[in-house]
Amino acid sequence: MNIRCAKPEDLMNMQHCNLLCLPENYQMKYYFYHGLTWPQLSYVAEDDKGNIVGYVLAKMEEPEAGEDSKHGHITSLAVKRSYRRLGLAQKLMNQASLAMVECFDAEYVSLHVRKSNRAALNLYTNYLGFKVLEIEPKYYADGEDAYSMRRDLREIAKQLSEENDAEPISSNKSSHKSTDHSLHDGHCC
Amino acid sequence: MPSSERLPPKESALFRKLLKCYEMKQYKNGLKLAKQILSNPKFTEHGETLAMKGLTLNGLGRREEAYQYVRRGLRNDLKSHVCWHVYGLLQRSDKKYDEAIKCYRNALKWEKDNLQILKDLSLLQIQMRDLEGYRETRHQLFKLRPSQQASWIGFTMSYHLLGDYETANIILETFRQSQALVENYDYRNSELLLYQNQILIESGNYEKALEHLTKFSAQIFDKLSLKEAMGDLHIKLGQQSLAVPIYEQLIKRNPENVLYYAKYFEAKGITDNGSKLAEYKKFQESYPYAMCPKRLPLDIAFGDEFREIIDGYLRRGLRKGVPPLFVNVRSLYKDPEKTSIISQLVHEYHQNLNESGHFSKDDCEQKKPVEPASALLWTLLFLSQHYDFLRDTDKALKYINLAIDHTPTLIELFVTKGRIYKHAGNPVEAYKWLDEAQSLDTADRYINSKCAKYMLQANLITEAEEICAKFTREGISAMENLNEMQCMWFQTECALAYQRLGKWGDALKKCHEVDRHFAEIIEDQFDFHTYCMRKMTLRSYVGLLRLEDVLRAHPFYFKAAKCAIEVYIRLFDKPLESEKTVEEIDTENLPPAELKKLRNKQRKAKKKAEIESAQAAQAASKKEQHQKSKQQNPQEADPEAPQLDELIPEKLERPEDALEKAIDFLKPLQTLAKDRIETHLLAFEVYSRKNKILLMIQSVKRARKLDSTNPVLHACIVKLLIALTEENVNNFHPSVKSVVEKVRTELSGGKTASALNDDFIRKYEKSVPHLLEGAKMMYILDRSKKEEAIKLATSFDMENACIEDCTKVFECLRCGEFGECEEQLKTFKERCHKRFKYACLFSEAKSEENHGDEVPDTQTANS
Repeated sequence: MNIRCAKPEDLMNMQHCNLLCLPENYQMKYYFYHGLTWPQLSYVAEDDKGNIVGYVLAKMEEPEAGEDSKHGHITSLAVKRSYRRLGLAQKLMNQASLAMVECFDAEYVSLHVRKSNRAALNLYTNYLGFKVLEIEPKYYADGEDAYSMRRDLREIAKQLSEENDAEPISSNKSSHKSTDHSLHDGHCC
Repeated sequence: MPSSERLPPKESALFRKLLKCYEMKQYKNGLKLAKQILSNPKFTEHGETLAMKGLTLNGLGRREEAYQYVRRGLRNDLKSHVCWHVYGLLQRSDKKYDEAIKCYRNALKWEKDNLQILKDLSLLQIQMRDLEGYRETRHQLFKLRPSQQASWIGFTMSYHLLGDYETANIILETFRQSQALVENYDYRNSELLLYQNQILIESGNYEKALEHLTKFSAQIFDKLSLKEAMGDLHIKLGQQSLAVPIYEQLIKRNPENVLYYAKYFEAKGITDNGSKLAEYKKFQESYPYAMCPKRLPLDIAFGDEFREIIDGYLRRGLRKGVPPLFVNVRSLYKDPEKTSIISQLVHEYHQNLNESGHFSKDDCEQKKPVEPASALLWTLLFLSQHYDFLRDTDKALKYINLAIDHTPTLIELFVTKGRIYKHAGNPVEAYKWLDEAQSLDTADRYINSKCAKYMLQANLITEAEEICAKFTREGISAMENLNEMQCMWFQTECALAYQRLGKWGDALKKCHEVDRHFAEIIEDQFDFHTYCMRKMTLRSYVGLLRLEDVLRAHPFYFKAAKCAIEVYIRLFDKPLESEKTVEEIDTENLPPAELKKLRNKQRKAKKKAEIESAQAAQAASKKEQHQKSKQQNPQEADPEAPQLDELIPEKLERPEDALEKAIDFLKPLQTLAKDRIETHLLAFEVYSRKNKILLMIQSVKRARKLDSTNPVLHACIVKLLIALTEENVNNFHPSVKSVVEKVRTELSGGKTASALNDDFIRKYEKSVPHLLEGAKMMYILDRSKKEEAIKLATSFDMENACIEDCTKVFECLRCGEFGECEEQLKTFKERCHKRFKYACLFSEAKSEENHGDEVPDTQTANS
């Protein structure tokens, strides 16, 4: 297993992984849009043959009305069912979050998750420090509601500024409840 | 002077309004304005107005009229840059980029400093990779607008892409210095610096690159890229000790990156496995949650040391219940010693878990706490996967059944059971277990996709589509939606299923759909040419350009192209009757009852087609809405994109020139998949049917370079030697003739084709695929040796043979590669059935159902 920042040549394989795993799909151009606008924010997990078994596709959003802080957004996160319980989703998310702070000064990261996707909700709330902000009715094409969630990234930012430049933050430390066990069903968005 | 400037003030004002309307996409108003000008009897043939009218019509989707008006306008005013520009824009919207470039060039003849035309031209040049032309145009733009940032970036980019790193760097450096004072340190500045650094690295000037990074490190926000580049540069410059802390930091940041560990060892000068293992141990302590420091040692440990590490690794995984435990160690099975250690350990766990609930006797004796009950379950699953990997179907099934008895609700178990049946040659039983798995969690698309894939491999296309429909949008057929979403795995598996069913047209339709996705993805670049310059994400942009250059090197393309080529070859060998003849024969010879049935069927088909086309229309409008809401592309989608021809299976399977169609798919493989021997073996099949001796030679030579022992290559060589008749050779020009003669000697070693074949058979007497090819050639060279050839192909030792090889031999016998041989086919099938009792193909029951049509003889050895 190998986790690294996504390159343009990974984008097609991310699309493939997305089509296998999630109901929300996008054409290639949308992946290019992400990869070419925020090249630091998307990460992939690959197996020893180089097949992509999980990814996070992320972007930055302009400040919401009444706010002046920039924030990141998780467009899509998926891990193949056959690669669950390795903590891949958590590791991918932590890498993306760190890059959001470092490169774009993000104060928080947001995402949407299906109301029925309890496993993903569990991952976000219990392992990644996300909180439900509100419910967005009929957010998904099939009429399902979404939880709109946020994770505060200021803690990462603080650690980054405290640490000497030569001492980058460990992504392990950055997630409060990083545990090694039972991260099952980390799919979402 | 352009004709619009000769218009009187009133018309001139109208013309300017017309231009404005086009820009604002107010096409209907535009048409009214054009009409106003053209209704003046003096200006009915006014060139630029006619051209603009045409362009406006194009905006409304009236393409044919658009071409008429634009061409008429241009004919009336050949010296107008407006007319030429308009003609260029029209061709561009029709994706005829080469033609558009010519038009823009003509426009520039009459107005050489027109910025808009130059910009449009530069976009087409980069899209078409006319790099020299691009540089000229960017130079021109630079001279005209030296104050604009885009001028500098484009100018730099044009040199960079041509490999002139030095000039590129000089331009960029000059630009940066002029900017440094004005701009704050920001993301764009950071990206620009990293782009400049990329140029320095690519130029090979590592010292300067490192100096550059060090100097600007505070201004670079992308610390990951910064560190990765610095570590790499230190190593390249022989400053290993400086690289060590950088890789330590990178590992700390992301301990799951395999490359960092390799680079860390390189920096530390560690080459022996013992020291590496010690280092991994340290990293395990520092990063207890990381997988890499635990997994990577398994690759480099051996013997007792391996046993100790894998023991801990397996126990942890089985205790915790990690589904991918087996796939994570699968690559270790290359080493028979490791395989046997793993096998031994897991059997011990199994026994001890059954007896005492511990992994080992020691644990039991030391009265350690018992393992969780699920440990036995995961151990059983592991054993099942282990035996499946070793293709011991009976044992694999034994353990998976024990696991299912233990826990009848775990989806992973059913998936594994299905996979065992798939490997055993029973796609029907396989898909049934996947269907079972799928029914246990209908909210998980991954399991749904797997189920659909297995259904397709069992040739159940309708069923697969129905399963997929659970996750595709409502109100549109799943097939349609998956195509719209560029779901290539599904389309390729469909194509292969259709190919197995002998539904050539449907197979080709799917292959062409995949090909069109690739064309579309290449088109997708267009908007990013300007977008990335604005966003300054130039490293990624260069990455995109380089990716698009080799896009069809992707395995998805290879799979679809191979299928298409095989189908076209089949259609060349046995062309289908024309649609009309089929129908006539049908109706004339059918008894009334059958005729009625047929009519009913036709009615149904027609109705179905109508529904489908209505759905497609609906889908098209939905798609638009969907794209508007979901996709925020840098620029909106081109509403004027040309409509592609509809792909109609009945037409596709009756191509005018099947081999030319095959070559369309072959060409990208020859440039982008030239490392795969199958490419050249396919090429040989195509060219041999065209009797292109020199291209046959070329294919054989390329294949030989990759793997001179490939069995199918031998068949190609024999066929080539047969094709090199005196007549064929003598037809060549003397100089070519001598080359051909030389090749013949080189390939045959001066022997006759049959002597060469006999040698080959002796040399590979233990290899089934080689014997099969040797036997096929024996029969081709001498039809009287039929019995001997069949015997050669079929009398290998069944116990050590694999199912893939047996299938291949069986298919060859069945589709008549050795002539009529019913008796031998029956005997061979019985032998295969005895050895592979689960395989449908060899079972007594009617296996024809799933393997309806013969397999074309172009199937290559390594499938």
